[in-house]
Amino acid sequence: MKGRNSGQIRIIEAFLAIFIIFSAVAISANLPTKSPNPANDSLASIGMQALLQLDSDGSLHVYIASGNWSRLREALNLLLPAGVSFNLRVYDAQMRQINMETVSNGGFNSQEITLVKYVCTGRSPEFRCYVIYLYLAVAK
Amino acid sequence: METAKKFGAARSGQLLIVAALAIAILIASTSIYVYELTTQKQSAENDSIVELVLAIKTGLRNAAVSALANITQGGQKTVLAENLDTLADVYTRLYPQQICQIRYKLPNSAGYEDGVKLSWNSNNGLGVSSVYVPYMLKVLAPTFNATLNDAVNITTTLKVQGFCTVGENETLKTVNLTCMVFNEEKQAQAKWIAIYYEDDSGAWIPVNNPSITDWGNSTYSPHFTVALASDFVHVSVHVVDARNILVVANTTCSQAV
Repeated sequence: MKGRNSGQIRIIEAFLAIFIIFSAVAISANLPTKSPNPANDSLASIGMQALLQLDSDGSLHVYIASGNWSRLREALNLLLPAGVSFNLRVYDAQMRQINMETVSNGGFNSQEITLVKYVCTGRSPEFRCYVIYLYLAVAK
Repeated sequence: METAKKFGAARSGQLLIVAALAIAILIASTSIYVYELTTQKQSAENDSIVELVLAIKTGLRNAAVSALANITQGGQKTVLAENLDTLADVYTRLYPQQICQIRYKLPNSAGYEDGVKLSWNSNNGLGVSSVYVPYMLKVLAPTFNATLNDAVNITTTLKVQGFCTVGENETLKTVNLTCMVFNEEKQAQAKWIAIYYEDDSGAWIPVNNPSITDWGNSTYSPHFTVALASDFVHVSVHVVDARNILVVANTTCSQAV
């Protein structure tokens, strides 16, 4: 009697322990899907830093004011990490799109697109404000 | 029966310990995981707020430089407020939820009038073009609010010293000047230099093609020859720096001893 009961109880204990541990793992594994994607945040940060760097010496404003979209595309290609797709749109202060030419390095294959908003200002005596929408995605 | 009771009592203790351990591990791991996620989210949010603040500060600075360039070249002093309002308005429209608010006050003290100071008329060889804008930047993030009190100070300073030497013909005087240009008290490059002298009738005459030596350290040495009856020469130096800001300094060049 004693030996038979002892075996049953141990099996029940083992099953219970396994169940508890697996439920913990299952709950933990489901948590990331409910949280914001840190990759998106870092992509936004990378995009913002690239625009800030371009703006630090005034070249961002120069490219926009002169409509030199190819140089702007090249500069972003250099500043953004490889494997990041971008598409840039420039608007004036009244939100009218300025760039009629596409400033992009290819189509987006990713479902997750990050938008970076940036306001670019000039230093010339005639003050100009441009609103930049930089769409970013990790190329797959 | 007694044996079975003893057995049950002994084993239920083990079961409780195992269950308690498992639950403790579950709670601890979940808590640590949630904490790490929150930290990552907070860190990413802080980064984006810092970058937004940097972008706004750059914008405010550019707006001030643009206004000073405009004002020194004949524009109205109201241009400064117009530029700042334009920038604040763009940010308000870009973030309608009022994520960032820009408030500024243009000072009317210490030589500043509506945030602008143009000190060009003193005859001590010092000229100053400056704007000063204290501002408050409020950033409202989902998890925290940040308030930044700072100021934009854009100042172009010109220092001029000089003397003149008299040639064989006593009316001909060679003027030697030393001009130094500063942006916010740091050495800066001049983009354009023009020199005027006051003739015997009191009119300011531009010096045509003065010889200017650029020493490369924000110091320029112009020299030129003029025909004047007086023993000294009143000189006015106009300099436009690399930011398109004009500054004027006047000095009197006496004969070198």
